[in-house]
Amino acid sequence: MSSPATGGDSVAARYASAAQVAAVVILLICHVCYDVIIIARSWSQYESRLGTVTAWVIVAGVQVAGSVLLLRRGAGASVLACRLLAALAVGASLVAILSYPPGQVLGDASWAWNTVGWCGVLLLMHRPLWELIVMQGANTAISVVAMAADGSMDRVTAGRVVLVTFATAGAQLLFVVVAHHLTRVARRAAELTLARAENESRAAAEEAVHSERQRRYREIGERVAPLLRGLGDSTLDPADPQVWRLAGVEAARLRRLFAETDDSSDPMLHELRACTDLAERRGVDVTFFHYGALPQVPAAARRSLTEVVLLVLASAASRARITVVGDAAEVVVSVTADAPAEVLDDLRSSLPVSVVDDQEAKQLWVEVRWRVPQPLSG
Amino acid sequence: MASAAAPVRVSIIDDHPVVIEGIRAWLNVEPRIKVSHVGTNVPASMSNVDVIILDLHLDRRLAIDDIATLAGAGQRVIVFSQFTEEEIVLAALDAGAYAFLAKSEGPDHLLTTVFAVAEGRPYVTPMAAGILVSDQRPEAPVLSERERTALLWWFQSMSKASVASRMGISPHTVDMYIRRARLKYAQVGRAAPTKTDMLMRAIEDGLLTRDEVAEGFPLPAPATTASRAIRPAVAGSVEVKPAGA
Repeated sequence: MSSPATGGDSVAARYASAAQVAAVVILLICHVCYDVIIIARSWSQYESRLGTVTAWVIVAGVQVAGSVLLLRRGAGASVLACRLLAALAVGASLVAILSYPPGQVLGDASWAWNTVGWCGVLLLMHRPLWELIVMQGANTAISVVAMAADGSMDRVTAGRVVLVTFATAGAQLLFVVVAHHLTRVARRAAELTLARAENESRAAAEEAVHSERQRRYREIGERVAPLLRGLGDSTLDPADPQVWRLAGVEAARLRRLFAETDDSSDPMLHELRACTDLAERRGVDVTFFHYGALPQVPAAARRSLTEVVLLVLASAASRARITVVGDAAEVVVSVTADAPAEVLDDLRSSLPVSVVDDQEAKQLWVEVRWRVPQPLSG
Repeated sequence: MASAAAPVRVSIIDDHPVVIEGIRAWLNVEPRIKVSHVGTNVPASMSNVDVIILDLHLDRRLAIDDIATLAGAGQRVIVFSQFTEEEIVLAALDAGAYAFLAKSEGPDHLLTTVFAVAEGRPYVTPMAAGILVSDQRPEAPVLSERERTALLWWFQSMSKASVASRMGISPHTVDMYIRRARLKYAQVGRAAPTKTDMLMRAIEDGLLTRDEVAEGFPLPAPATTASRAIRPAVAGSVEVKPAGA
């Protein structure tokens, strides 16, 4: 069977994990390299250096917490924690803006807008898109309001705001949209692969069932048809005990064949009971004891084990005792009956299990064993 | 052996009169057995019987506790039941019953069981042998290979003589293996005076030594490794190998 062990979800999870790592790395570069360079370059110009440092540290804290949450929990991270951290990042953005030199909300000394936006990507990546839009909106609104408040919002600045918004928030939203899309496509692809593998294995199973049916049909044709033909054209005499026995054996085999297709919790015992049915109807007193938990016995081995019982029962004159004992490693089936030993003559050369028989006081005692195959070592 | 002068006194307890009559009919063919009490319920006390044949299903309940009570008073109980499930049979033996007889085994084994139990010897019917040999519980006693073989083939076969000829030993030795396996069960589980009686009787019979009983049951001398497997291949059996397999 070619069923891939990994489902669609795990393929999707691999894609999602790549996007997560990308977001963590981008934010790391933005905040630790780019922001530090800007702050160092403009260090002397900040209105409040303490405010700048505080904002940087808060964003760094949010970044660390958000990265850990995302890489450890992925989509399973606490919604409340993500939202609170996002709000904290927006708060840090406000602190940073207040510490910029006057009129520099969008100037050379400003650093927070883009970085806080990436914080939003990191924290809200697995949340519905609107949450990130709200967060980005708040982040943008703070800058716009600050510009309006310090009077630096003129037409040129407004144009820059639009450009910067596209370049930062736009890119960040696009990143999340693409990541979502990739994950979805990956899941779908994996699901399709899985479905195809399932179809193939179902087809294989159906093929196996079909060939098993054909085998049964062939078997019936080879065994039952000559008997019926013989009875029909009088080459076989219905009064001949040998013919009775043959007919009895074939009837029992048919019965077992039907039992093989039944849904039973223990097919081995079920098929054995099917074999006893006809003998009981003939008036044979059949007792059937089984003890111990039987292992799974493959159909071919079951057929061999039940065949012994079936042949002896078909020839039993008045009584038969069937016992089955099993443990995890072995099944031992036995039948004792007032039957002639010759019934097993055909079997001795063909049965792939050991037969022990003991003829005593016109009683036949047959034991058949089947061992669970040991896995080959080395 | 019970003498003709002192027949084995038997009590039959079953809530179906027809079953009581059936058992009585089986026992009546034997003059050395006298049915001295019948009842539909376990009486509070009973002293003048040697063996009690008890139906396990009394008043729509399983009479396991009654077995324990009777065994506690030293009474020898043969359980006679249509139930043949492993847990039920093992529970009855654990409660101190001497023997468990399936109803289908009645005609063939009832008289032998009654005589054995009257003499203080537990009796293992073929059905009970099947249960003992397939007992996979962790608390099950460890049986030797020969004990397992004897139990398994006794479960399958028609007679101890046929088991004996297949094992290449005497019927008496087959019986010894089966009894030793059964006595191991008298040494596990809950304590009961009847279990002690069985073991004492086994010492008298020379089946066990006092030391063996005192220190638990050691493995028989030839088998140094005891096996949980159903049975290893036994020399002397006729094995027909598949041709060209």
